[in-house]
Amino acid sequence: MSLEHEHHGADLTHGNAGHHGPKTLPSVLTAPAVVGAWRTRAAIVAVIFAVVSLAFFFVPGGKSHLLRAYLMGYMTCFNFCGGALAFLMVQYVSGGKWGQILRRPLEAMTRTIWVVFAMFLPVMFWMKHLYIWAAYPNKAALLDAYKTGHITQEQQLTASSKLTMLSPTSAWVQYLLVLGFMALVITLLNKWSVQRDNDPRAGTLASFDKWRVKFENLSGPSILFYVILMSAFVIVFVKSLDVTWYSSVYGLQFLVAQGYAVLALGILTLILLSRYEPIKTMFRTTEQHDMGKLLFAFVMLNIYLTFAEFLIIWSGNLPDEIPWYLHRIHGGWWYVCSADVICHWLIPFCILLSRDIKRSKSKMIWVTVFMIFARFIDMFWLIEPNFKDAAGNLHLAGNFGILAYITVPVAVVAFWMFFYLTELMRRPLINVNDPHTQELLEPEHAH
Amino acid sequence: MPVHEGVYGLIAEFNTPSELVHATEMAHRAGYRRMECYTPYPVEEAAEALRFHKTGVPLMCLLGGLMGLVTGYGMEVWVNTLGYPLNIAGRPLFSWPAFVIPGYEWTILFAGLSAAFGMLAQNGLPQLYHPLFNAPNFRDGATTDKFFLCLEAHDPKFSATETRVFLEGFSPVSVVEVDH
Repeated sequence: MSLEHEHHGADLTHGNAGHHGPKTLPSVLTAPAVVGAWRTRAAIVAVIFAVVSLAFFFVPGGKSHLLRAYLMGYMTCFNFCGGALAFLMVQYVSGGKWGQILRRPLEAMTRTIWVVFAMFLPVMFWMKHLYIWAAYPNKAALLDAYKTGHITQEQQLTASSKLTMLSPTSAWVQYLLVLGFMALVITLLNKWSVQRDNDPRAGTLASFDKWRVKFENLSGPSILFYVILMSAFVIVFVKSLDVTWYSSVYGLQFLVAQGYAVLALGILTLILLSRYEPIKTMFRTTEQHDMGKLLFAFVMLNIYLTFAEFLIIWSGNLPDEIPWYLHRIHGGWWYVCSADVICHWLIPFCILLSRDIKRSKSKMIWVTVFMIFARFIDMFWLIEPNFKDAAGNLHLAGNFGILAYITVPVAVVAFWMFFYLTELMRRPLINVNDPHTQELLEPEHAH
Repeated sequence: MPVHEGVYGLIAEFNTPSELVHATEMAHRAGYRRMECYTPYPVEEAAEALRFHKTGVPLMCLLGGLMGLVTGYGMEVWVNTLGYPLNIAGRPLFSWPAFVIPGYEWTILFAGLSAAFGMLAQNGLPQLYHPLFNAPNFRDGATTDKFFLCLEAHDPKFSATETRVFLEGFSPVSVVEVDH
């Protein structure tokens, strides 16, 4: 096999001695102009797909599917923003060069928090069209809905017992609390990151230590709070689409899915940026390989949790729990379920086993794009079968509204991508006042 | 094993991995092929400079893993459907979800063992004697803080004088001739 692809980024022209010495930090650290072009493309995609999505207003069942598909698109953006925050905090606590090169893209993802905050308002205002607990917000309304045959007795009983967490007021409180907490941590981390680079003592050990401790102290406890609050958010706004179901691993599954998606997007961003300075100089194959391995770990962890959840519920075979899977396996859903396992796990797993592919820039572009695509299949499989018209009955005839799941999430994610790229352009792509920066300039073999 | 006599090769000692990688790359360009780098920790670029990265171990690991998967899963299927069929909670005899975990465990076990034994089979370990340990600076430095490049005598391009001059061109700490 050719060895050429082993040498991405490594300068093997040995014309004179010293080629393996440290590189110098590029003089310009801002994002290349091409990011502006990507941003324009994202805007165009968002507009085109949004316009196409308007057609679903005139299709039978289109309006309700528009809202469900919007939730799916929104959750993808939420995962990017929240996952980036989680990665940022974990890297501040653990250190590591992989996270140093990834830091500014992650920060850019987190700074979309206000957009993510605002993008959720349509769901909040129309929540009664999505959630039983919002349509029938108290015990009396639930009982009434049961008596008139709108909901089953199980739905009435479980929704009544979950009113503390699942009610419109409680949903508003949790929405504000979760995204408010994220916004607070994100604001501080991003503010400090700029202050750190502007530190008059930058480059000294005292400055390194001061900022390291400061970031660690905020990130450590915030990781814990984030995981708890994020779990609450996905339980209220995704899991409760089926008000009768219970799963204690649900939040964690979303957390892992966030890692999966964010790492794929982060690697993709870095590889595309590595055609231009400053990332061209800074992004070594070593870090790409490390991130590839981490991505592989998330692929594995994701199937581990997903399958463990399934195996436990399958073994228990309890009437409370098993319908959730039956709705997602029977009536045509088997195809989606299989596609989910194959695209979300099997294909990335097999591909990422290869060391050569993890180190290849051109191949990893396609792998990461495919993995982001696979996230959409997974979210579709999680969301759509919650609704009565789709549970255990995937059909297109007389149900063209379901095609909104193709156009709306693309529009929503492209819309989010526009803001992500805008934020990416606003800061230098390298955080200079960090000892890892110097290490990134060293040759690949200098461990 | 035949008894070797005479010169095993010339060994150049370097203080940094950069110098080692550079010298190795240049030696490869000059046409040397029978050579080896010795470093206290893995230096991937040195392996690349040696054009040494393709071994049979990944393939053995993969095949071992697949063998484990087929064996583990197949055994579960055979036991539960043919060998000793039991009605467990009214589930079908072929209850594939239950077989996944043992299949997975066997995959890991076989893949791990194949990788470990495959590595041992391919790298010639355990090896009780190696000529390089005749060089005192190698004994002292190879596992602590020195980086060595050995150009071996059975390379067609090897010449006791010219190869020494070639290696000295990279300003190593020393160039030592090692006997068998």
